[in-house]
Amino acid sequence: MADPMKIRAANKDGVTEVKILMSHEMETGQRKDASGAIVPAHFISEVTATWNGKVVLQGEFGPAVSKNPYLAFKFKGGAKGEKVTVSWVDNKGDKRTDEGTIA
Amino acid sequence: MSRFSKLACVALIGALGATSALAAGKGAAPAANPAFEGLGRAATPAEIRAWDIDVRPDFKGLPKGQGSVEQGQDVWEAKCATCHGTFGESNEVFTPIVGGTTADDIKTGHVKNLQPGSSFPQRTTLMKVATLSTLWDYINRAMPWTAPKSLKTDEVYAVLAYILNLGEIVPADFVLSDANIAEVQKRMPNRNGMTTDHGLWPGKGIGTGKPDVKAVACMSNCKTEVKIGSTLPDYAETAHGNLAEQNRTIGATRGKDINAAKGQPAAAAEKPSANAQAHQLAQASGCTACHGLTNKVVGPGFNEVAAKYKGKGDAEGKLVAKVKQGGAGVWGQIPMPPQSLKDEEIKSLVQWILSGAPAK
Repeated sequence: MADPMKIRAANKDGVTEVKILMSHEMETGQRKDASGAIVPAHFISEVTATWNGKVVLQGEFGPAVSKNPYLAFKFKGGAKGEKVTVSWVDNKGDKRTDEGTIA
Repeated sequence: MSRFSKLACVALIGALGATSALAAGKGAAPAANPAFEGLGRAATPAEIRAWDIDVRPDFKGLPKGQGSVEQGQDVWEAKCATCHGTFGESNEVFTPIVGGTTADDIKTGHVKNLQPGSSFPQRTTLMKVATLSTLWDYINRAMPWTAPKSLKTDEVYAVLAYILNLGEIVPADFVLSDANIAEVQKRMPNRNGMTTDHGLWPGKGIGTGKPDVKAVACMSNCKTEVKIGSTLPDYAETAHGNLAEQNRTIGATRGKDINAAKGQPAAAAEKPSANAQAHQLAQASGCTACHGLTNKVVGPGFNEVAAKYKGKGDAEGKLVAKVKQGGAGVWGQIPMPPQSLKDEEIKSLVQWILSGAPAK
């Protein structure tokens, strides 16, 4: 199980801005370790953010995304105290879901 | 300056130094040095308090106060996140504050990512810093960059608590205070990573090592002149603007003065024109740290701003408001923090920028 994501969400003038810092190795599968063997690819492949059960962002990540990815987006709606739920799935089937409260 | 006044200056500084040290040590009236009779005066307790703000590794000098992670988050988002990123992770303006430390590092007090063979690309603040007092002192005296010493004591505690929480050194409901800061010090990831045995510490008693530099005189086949192996081609010299103007004027690093290379002396001898005054104001107010005159640095170059708003009647009012309140999104995602300048100063700066920001 990976480390938790850090999630901040803030509502301003009816628009909620969500900032997410995910904790993930994001191995490209192109790197070699000290002994010359290829480090197997290990990266987040899908990210989904929901608010009130409604999907507000869905994205496909790939090996080009950096280690410990940072993601920020805005959506219309959201109110103080409501929850934004973010989850990812990586290419090895690992999953992680975390929740942030809108400030 | 005459020889006499130079001497007097030195004597005055000497006298002030001696008296303040005495006053700080004993709190008693300083003894007059007969050699400097009539020179200088004892520093007042208020002056000493304003000057004596350092916090030491044993937390001597730390003012009483407290701040929670949650309060720290509010201060952080308002004053720090513009440069350091919401999670202290940003690598855009400065190197990251948070990252590279693990729960294991907190246990051992040595950061594994600093060891040889580590693949971690950078050294973050939390990886390097050994003493919590250093962070407290630095935030207190130097942050935010645009308005140092503007944070209240409790805000410094709060911001520090927030940083420590980002590094997973303290939990999210933690309240950092003068009473428990020594406990937190025992969880610093690199607390055992500081070495003093390298001869770089002043004075006796801290470390015994010698610096690992050896200046050995060359005795045979010595080079007679320095040969410069490579230089920037002429067309690339201005790639980042005039580096001499962008650097601080203290210390050894200056950057080559391109204007001087072109045969235009950087400092004009005559009375500064209105443009030169505006340019000075921009430098003194920290604008040129992020905006170049003719190039993009972090924010857009002033010439780019002038070009964008050329011929638009409401540009001046709009930009004055932008400078005052800060903004983001027009030129990219890195926001500009609100600037606390006088209204007429902002106005003169905006007029100067819209006129194309001539250096003089």
